[in-house]
Amino acid sequence: MSALPKVPTRLRRVAVPVVWFLVVVVVLAPLTQTDEARNLGIPAVVNRAQLRILTTIAMFVVMASAWNIIGGLAGYASFGNVGFFGLGAYTTAMLVDRDRGGLPFAIGLLAAPILPMLFAAGIGSVLLRLRGHYFAIATLGTSIALGEVIKNIDFFGGSTGLFPPILPKADLVFFYLMLAVAALAIVSNWLILRSRFGYGLIAIRENEHAAEVIGIDTTRYKVRAFVTAAALTGLAGGVFAQWTSFVSQDNVFPISYNVEMILMAIIGGAGTVFGPVIGAVGLEALIQVLAGGGSAAAATQVGLGVLLAITVVFLPRGVIDFFGGRSKLSLRAIRASLRETSA
Amino acid sequence: MSLVLQQIVLGFLTGGVYVAVGIGFSLVWGLLNIVNLAHGAFIVLGAYLTWFLFSKFGLDPFLSLPLDAALLFAVGYLIQRGLINWVIRAPVFFTLLLTFGLNLALVNGVLLLFSADFRSVTPSYAGSGIELGEVRVPLIRLATLAVAVLMAALVALVLNRTRLGAAILAVAANRDAAQLVGVDLRHAYALTFAIGAACAGVAGGLLSTVQAINPTAGEPYTLQAFVVVILGGLGRVSATVVGGLAFGLIEVFGQAAPGLGAGYANAIAFAILVVVLAVRPSGLLGRAQ
Repeated sequence: MSALPKVPTRLRRVAVPVVWFLVVVVVLAPLTQTDEARNLGIPAVVNRAQLRILTTIAMFVVMASAWNIIGGLAGYASFGNVGFFGLGAYTTAMLVDRDRGGLPFAIGLLAAPILPMLFAAGIGSVLLRLRGHYFAIATLGTSIALGEVIKNIDFFGGSTGLFPPILPKADLVFFYLMLAVAALAIVSNWLILRSRFGYGLIAIRENEHAAEVIGIDTTRYKVRAFVTAAALTGLAGGVFAQWTSFVSQDNVFPISYNVEMILMAIIGGAGTVFGPVIGAVGLEALIQVLAGGGSAAAATQVGLGVLLAITVVFLPRGVIDFFGGRSKLSLRAIRASLRETSA
Repeated sequence: MSLVLQQIVLGFLTGGVYVAVGIGFSLVWGLLNIVNLAHGAFIVLGAYLTWFLFSKFGLDPFLSLPLDAALLFAVGYLIQRGLINWVIRAPVFFTLLLTFGLNLALVNGVLLLFSADFRSVTPSYAGSGIELGEVRVPLIRLATLAVAVLMAALVALVLNRTRLGAAILAVAANRDAAQLVGVDLRHAYALTFAIGAACAGVAGGLLSTVQAINPTAGEPYTLQAFVVVILGGLGRVSATVVGGLAFGLIEVFGQAAPGLGAGYANAIAFAILVVVLAVRPSGLLGRAQ
């Protein structure tokens, strides 16, 4: 894992404008769907299905970036972040549900991060004392148990789930909403990496005892990182709840989301600002291209599993590392990394 | 009274599967420091082999257990030798992700081959049981428990009484020293993982006799194996046996408690996990660290 790598100037001169251009295109293209654009004679360049894919990609950018704060920076591999997503989704769904909260979506969305943050603070102060495997499995178990308990309580919709009302013009609204949350997640990472807080987290990742010795309140830092990740993930859950108009345990507590967010962060480059973004965009685009119904979905999962295994073995520092000075995409670099870790 | 007695018996019998599931997991974790998230996939592979042999050739499920062990031994050896050995000295996180990837690939591979349909293995003696006074003991459950305890004893025997076991324990205790006295590290790691996988294969075979299986049937058992190992304590085969039986009892009584039910199985398991980690991190029988 590395801090933000320095991109060589020659590559930077070409890559940065291209990336910005693509970002602007993706941000503006969906506007061609509106009635105004149609009246002006501008053809729609993205259809609704593509818009949904873009929204999903933005959602995973949020989740991978949020995971990066606790997993990539602090080095605590949380397998329970999907619990925050589910809590946020259920909060919004309960508040906007006609028979329960009956509140407008804006309020439901603003409330979405609150419960995840409280939950993260509560379980964080206990679970963040565990290290390594213990932390990973304890967080995994907590999120599974949370989903199971919610499913068993009829007030929360039971096994049927909740159905938030469908909003007009939903696709476009939710795309920009999710994009805004994604931007918030990226900016949060960027700010944290440049702050005392961020340096503290990296110190914890590299050597927790040493970090404590130099005066970092490690427990407080870790809990803060966990709570920040929970807030962002919960917000994405809130948007998701209203967007899909269907919230159930299977839908908003899937362990596969948690695996995907970790995979994205690792493949892109955990501990960096843009690594998780690159990973999320690349991997989710790949999944969407490959995914079909039925057996194609299973084949996709096989591919994902193999991809995960290969990445872990051959590219432990992620794709973004190859754009930096640290290692190059060469057999020699891979062999050197394998020598460090192999039996 | 007889109801409580029946519950206790059921708890122990349920624990049999957990013992079987826990042994391989505990071995790999304790000796290789790998939390094998593909453990559930190994269980599923064993279960499907038993089902396949039973439904195609009418082979008795308990007779196919050695074949389950052999298949998974080979699979485990190859996976450790070909993949995990490359990252064995990397931070724990990497083996966690690697085995998660393997799990995903294996489970969905089984899904592609055999579809998501539930399969069951129903030998002629499936429903029979022994009546002991007012307590009924299902025969298959009893056999499951017996095989699990036998397997635990066998693993303990191999570890403590053979040269192979000595080599495996030596590598776990101090890899450099073990290498100096001539132990082939890569081979020893691979054998350890292979034994763990073979245990998972047997556990899968046993599982297919007590419940209907599908490709994702193994996943909850990875988590439960983790809880069993924490509950008993890491580092000893006997601790896993105690952990597995205790977990079976807790599950049976937990689900019978008012207001709870089978729907809370995971919640109960993880509540136990968090309590044990908070109160007694070394487990019931584990050595203090």
